[in-house]
Amino acid sequence: MIYDLIIIGGGSAGITAGIYAARQKMKTLLLTKSFGGQMVHKSVEIENYPGFDKISSRELIERFENQLKSKDIEIETDKVLSIVKKDYFNILTEAEKQYQSKTVIIATGSEPRKLNIKGEKEFLGKGVSYCATCDGPIFSNKKVAVIGGGEAGFETALFLKKYASDVFILEQDEKPRASKEIQEKTKEAGIKLIVSAIVKEIKGSVFVEEIIYNEDVIKVNGIFIQIGYVPDASFAKELIDINEKGEIIVNFETLETKTPGLFAAGDINIGKVKQIITACGEGAQATIYAYNYLIKEYGSN
Amino acid sequence: MKVRLFTTPICPYCLTLKRFLEEKGIEIESIDVSSDEKARDEMVEKTQQTTVPVLEIEGEYIVGFDRNKICEKLGIED
Repeated sequence: MIYDLIIIGGGSAGITAGIYAARQKMKTLLLTKSFGGQMVHKSVEIENYPGFDKISSRELIERFENQLKSKDIEIETDKVLSIVKKDYFNILTEAEKQYQSKTVIIATGSEPRKLNIKGEKEFLGKGVSYCATCDGPIFSNKKVAVIGGGEAGFETALFLKKYASDVFILEQDEKPRASKEIQEKTKEAGIKLIVSAIVKEIKGSVFVEEIIYNEDVIKVNGIFIQIGYVPDASFAKELIDINEKGEIIVNFETLETKTPGLFAAGDINIGKVKQIITACGEGAQATIYAYNYLIKEYGSN
Repeated sequence: MKVRLFTTPICPYCLTLKRFLEEKGIEIESIDVSSDEKARDEMVEKTQQTTVPVLEIEGEYIVGFDRNKICEKLGIED
């Protein structure tokens, strides 16, 4: 079977693309490992999505997901390993399945950036986490450190303070980039900020026991890494051009990549604005142009 | 069959797994490990991991939404 459209990714852009595709009656498959994308990691409420004064990321994801699943669209929980183009786009997945499609939208967003220090990989899931909203509450009455002094790092620290006995923020620069307002809040909450801290190693036996920075050590049970996000579109490397950040270069009107029929929406492309609402907008935009491409190349869907 | 789901309050992956199990008609006991330290310690000790969701099916602990393993253990079709 040949799909009209395959959407790769289940975040804001991918879900919106799916909703639009179903409305255009395109034969569509959405491939994703999970829903929500980066919203999953957001530990404070969303206050800039129209229609909701305030909404938790969990609730917004649930609403997105429910709306998508109410449409006529196929969904598979799977990860794309490679995509090539012959007569059609051929997609190979982790579950060793192969799919063919006339058009493809890549909406895989970004993954949490790694520190790349000793112990980070070894203790992943054993104290090291990139998802405070998931794993943070496990550390009730324990000591935790957040690596990264951006807005997200401070938000994470405030979230963790609801559970943990002690929370540290380690920032490599002299001054954190987070807003004054949130810095004030964390101070009032008793969160300890350590600046000019170059994190060197994570140590422990079975679980994390300490973190080494500069020439110092802090004893902690949990380490939450919040140093930004990086895109990874390597599975499509033969069909796309990327910039120095690894983001896919697209035409900004059509969101088409250098390969006709292949589109990229949301955080994975070179767009500088990385917001839920803009990712949704791009998901819609990419689907409309994918539909136009389908009509032009194949006459109908 | 006794099935226990260890979760935290706003963990999106936990919710995805919970809904998957509900759709399949599996009866579960849901445990919030942020308020139940005893359950938390049990989960960490048994899995040797500090992450959720964890599903316990008759004494076997499965970490994360491992679809194939969960379906196999529960004897259900994906």
